[in-house]
Amino acid sequence: MTGIDLLDGVRVLDSSGEPSAYAGRMLADMGADVVLVEPPTGSPAREVPPLVQAPSGETVSAHFAYTAAGKRSVTVDLTAAPGRDVFRSLVGASDVLVTSAAVGAMEALGLGYDALRACNPRLVYTSVTPFGLTGPRRRWRGSDLVGWASSGAMPSIGDADRAPVAPGGGLSHMAAALNAVMGTLVALTARDGEHGRGQLVDISVQEATMSVTMEVSPLVFLEGGFDQTRSGKRKQAGPIGHYATRDGAVSIVAYMPEHWTVLAEWVRDETGVEEITAAEFSGTPIARIHYAELLDTWIEGLTSRYTKQEFFTEAQRRGITVAPVNSASDVLDDEHLRTTAGWSEYRMPGVGPLRVPVPPLHVDGATAVVRDVPALGEHTRAVLVDELGLPEADVRALHDAGVV
Amino acid sequence: MLPLDGVRVLELGYGIAAPVAARNLAQFGADVIRVESARKPDSLRLGGAGWLPPGYDWSVRRDTIPALNFSSPEKRSLGLEIDNDEGRAAFERLVAVTDVVITNVSDDALGALHVGYDDVRALRPDIIHVTLPAFGSAGPYRTYRTWGHNLSAAAGIDHLIGWPDRDPVQIGFAYPDFVSAQAATVAVLAALRRRRRTGTGAHIEVWQYAMALACLGPAIVAAQVEGIAPSATGNRAPDRAPQGVYRSRGEERWVAITVEDDAMWAALCRVPGLESLATDSRFASLDARIAHHDALDAQLTAWTRTRTDWEAASELQVFGVAASPVMDGWDVVADSQLAARDFFQALPHARFARDLVFGQAVRLSDTPPRAEHAAPGFGEHSRAILRDLAGLDDATIDRLVDAGVVHVMVRDDVALERPYLHWLRKVQRLLPWGEPTFDPAAQMMQDLSDETPP
Repeated sequence: MTGIDLLDGVRVLDSSGEPSAYAGRMLADMGADVVLVEPPTGSPAREVPPLVQAPSGETVSAHFAYTAAGKRSVTVDLTAAPGRDVFRSLVGASDVLVTSAAVGAMEALGLGYDALRACNPRLVYTSVTPFGLTGPRRRWRGSDLVGWASSGAMPSIGDADRAPVAPGGGLSHMAAALNAVMGTLVALTARDGEHGRGQLVDISVQEATMSVTMEVSPLVFLEGGFDQTRSGKRKQAGPIGHYATRDGAVSIVAYMPEHWTVLAEWVRDETGVEEITAAEFSGTPIARIHYAELLDTWIEGLTSRYTKQEFFTEAQRRGITVAPVNSASDVLDDEHLRTTAGWSEYRMPGVGPLRVPVPPLHVDGATAVVRDVPALGEHTRAVLVDELGLPEADVRALHDAGVV
Repeated sequence: MLPLDGVRVLELGYGIAAPVAARNLAQFGADVIRVESARKPDSLRLGGAGWLPPGYDWSVRRDTIPALNFSSPEKRSLGLEIDNDEGRAAFERLVAVTDVVITNVSDDALGALHVGYDDVRALRPDIIHVTLPAFGSAGPYRTYRTWGHNLSAAAGIDHLIGWPDRDPVQIGFAYPDFVSAQAATVAVLAALRRRRRTGTGAHIEVWQYAMALACLGPAIVAAQVEGIAPSATGNRAPDRAPQGVYRSRGEERWVAITVEDDAMWAALCRVPGLESLATDSRFASLDARIAHHDALDAQLTAWTRTRTDWEAASELQVFGVAASPVMDGWDVVADSQLAARDFFQALPHARFARDLVFGQAVRLSDTPPRAEHAAPGFGEHSRAILRDLAGLDDATIDRLVDAGVVHVMVRDDVALERPYLHWLRKVQRLLPWGEPTFDPAAQMMQDLSDETPP
């Protein structure tokens, strides 16, 4: 387990709350030294839902348990002047700051981009806010749901008789974090090249969510490429959608002629529905939508004979693009991850060993080593004294004053 | 001077994952060349704009699909078949002057086309080579084929979408493809950094299933600590209340609201018309609000129904409560926030005087992303690329075009206009659309009369 060294030598200060927490995690996965800067009472990132009950009885944030792996923790009270001095020293010795502070919050502390640029002209300052640092709604508050709502993608998700729904799991914030990592690395590239200086990276959760929903964007709907109504699985080419199995459902995408033909023959051979291979159903994917209800019944006659994993395996053997509709528990049991060393194990204080899927980047055959979640302030002394060279006595005094 | 000036990328991309990754690199300044086949074209080159009359054949249609303006702006297009000796020779000369090869063709095609890491490293030792396999290069699912919808289901994304009393629902966009594209962009940027320091290239695989799982890390951690997998909750959030999507005045208009913590709850209770929430004992704590969420939703809906979505969201935001109208596509195109940040661009296009292009969400204060041209026409830059980078002379290129090895943009005199441009011009007043330089109706009649039936 050698890990990935692409970002060796890059130091990142991370004062992220929920929207950008995964950015620091991804940078750490690639070899950067990511220092979580927390108030002495603990970062708000330690409180981000979902909250879970650890075996120790402690309530912890599953979000933090995931996104803080591999970071180091330094506590600094930014509301105290000596704490801000320490922070400036940290900035002076770092390449990147990632923050999800609200517009104006860092400026109010005297730690805005202009002030920090003065202490380190090579600093890349990456900001993640709900709507970005400019524009009429820059001061609006946000959330994962607000990110989805402002993306334009929600009206097409859900059931027609109820409100639109957003995907769960914090996926608009994950998109924002990925954009923050892209922006950070582009800015580092510019800094180490001709540009020669750091710069401000301004990520808006609204725009980041649009960057992962471009398929249902105005570019497409203005052409009539999709409608914006919530009409379930029959709005696109068919068949495409979820189909019930004995234990749940599978996701089938079989509108391409080569997939449809194989699926139709399978339905015919196994369930005896001879009509399904008739000419009226073998036309274009769009034409099949007219018969969707009938076809869905026939297809479900087949899928409901199987478990989702059985149907997945057999459909793939036949070359049809199918997958099971898995829950996180199903993923924990997934055969593919089990047999490909697909899990990383690490620890979190008070929780014990955790496992997460191995990070997705494989570089020269190696993947990231996921390291432990830091205890609050675990690395304060190492970073401030050993690495920054602040006098031991000074750090001791700051500690006694409750600043670090 | 853009950050990736001087970096050349060859893209053999289909659909979203590799093309969108390469599009990011192009917007950050790289010279990105799409190597496009007419025998196995990119799926976004199939079909054509729905409003084009049947008289136009594929040589025009393939340049009109609007999705290309999120997958391929700022790129150049080279129409080249590389499965034959002469095409291969030209391709090899290009690889020799290329920094990054990025592709999402299948494992089989990688082998058949000889575009795997070892193949291209032999031509350029410090090459950065990126593939985006669905399940990776090992394990029982190695050969399985999926679309974004399938991966979304397998990774557990679908399971978290929908209502607790109903089955999960599918989404109409391929989230795994887009986040994998972004991860691939990240990998290339980091690998370029290492190459500048050490001179070594990189062999990179972005496993799309693992990327989708990476986005669901918190749910996977929660499932193993608690022994129960999180499931769909409508629009509610774990450990927060209230959160939801509430009906507002008008047809199909909704407002999304999140109360993040007790401070935001106190702010909500100060909003005129909602003050009674403060004294209602059913809502006195987070646990109480979670327990009485339905009653709380009813009170909020009574308030939102008497306002438009924008009125409700604006009023809530004045008091510091997170809220937004549930915007649809029309709202997005006309959004003053996005307009103030120049999110959509009207850029020159080979078929359209200008075309609507999706902006880059990564905003940089000093080196803003490139916004020079919309997606290229199929083969629009074939001649220039083969002449300048592969060293072919015009006679050779002509011969290869005749042989069907090289494709150039056909009928490049055909100028078109999207039928909704008139409306867009009004909505997107800030964009430099310019005046139409031709009469589209007359042009279309002219083109149709020129058309030779296939």
